[in-house]
Amino acid sequence: MDPQLTSLIVSTSETAHIEETLDRLIADTGANYSMLLDKSGQVIAWSGDTDRQDITSLGALLAGTFASSREVARLLKEKEFKVLFQQGIRENIFTELIAEQWMLVVMFDKRTHIGLVKVLSKRATDELTGVLDRVKTESRAKDQIISTSFRTSVEDTIDLLFKD
Amino acid sequence: MAIINVAQREIRCKIVYYGPGLCGKTTNLKYIHRMVPESAKNKMISIDTETERTLFFDFLPIDLGTVHGFQTRFHLYTVPGQVLYERTRVAVLTGVDGVVFVADSQPNKMRDNIESLKELARNIQNEGKKFKDFPLVLQYNKRDMPNAVPLEQMNYYLNSQLNARSFEAVASRGVGVFDTLKYISKLVISKL
Repeated sequence: MDPQLTSLIVSTSETAHIEETLDRLIADTGANYSMLLDKSGQVIAWSGDTDRQDITSLGALLAGTFASSREVARLLKEKEFKVLFQQGIRENIFTELIAEQWMLVVMFDKRTHIGLVKVLSKRATDELTGVLDRVKTESRAKDQIISTSFRTSVEDTIDLLFKD
Repeated sequence: MAIINVAQREIRCKIVYYGPGLCGKTTNLKYIHRMVPESAKNKMISIDTETERTLFFDFLPIDLGTVHGFQTRFHLYTVPGQVLYERTRVAVLTGVDGVVFVADSQPNKMRDNIESLKELARNIQNEGKKFKDFPLVLQYNKRDMPNAVPLEQMNYYLNSQLNARSFEAVASRGVGVFDTLKYISKLVISKL
């Protein structure tokens, strides 16, 4: 990843591609919910139960857990832990790293077998790696979105909201 | 790294409050959470110990609303300040867009401030970024303490090489909290 790249721009067509991949993963595994996270904790896309609350908090916490496990890997002289599995009584969470930048999260209950989730997540992460490569290339041309007038408007909003 | 989602018309940036233990990072976030308008406010999450020391991080998403058709949001985090949590701080810094370094103005905390700032520089560089060019603001907190180190000395010990913008603060009363947040938010947006 280019460390000097300050933002990732996910286009409408790539978002559609990501959502299609997540929809198919849910349909094929019978999982309840799936989402794509950036390693910074931001949710890029999701699919599944529409009534799930607190997606933002979930994204921050899951990304935090993964980042923490990466540091554990470093202490153990492992390159990385590519996969994390959290087992609950009702629901389980499977998280897989995508090219050290994104994470694919799948939430499922006892009706879905972990083996199936593992195999099909691997297929999905391969597809999403391709998406990430294209997004990184496209992110270099960002002037159309982040214009000077956009920055000025954000600054005005910041002045308006951030006050005692 | 900021995420710009064109389909959902969203822009999201990550700001981390860094600094030694008990310097006031969580106090900053609590004040912001209390004072921002309801429309901008979201639930604040704290993962802390039984004695309310931060164990992993505090997390507060702030919505700026829609700007030029884009829903703009800042995700504010704190790190755990205690020395033993160094690797946890590295984890929280993942993908950060800007940092507020909160320094404690008490004389007996100056060594902790210096060590923490050095550690931050190391961690940012380990992410492959140049610390001198990285969006950073210093907040000298606890300026109301009777023995607070004079401003010139704070600058000398912490900021003489960095030349970052600094703000005086008393975070427990909200003094300087929004000035700091405003500055780092604008700095992050300017670097997008």
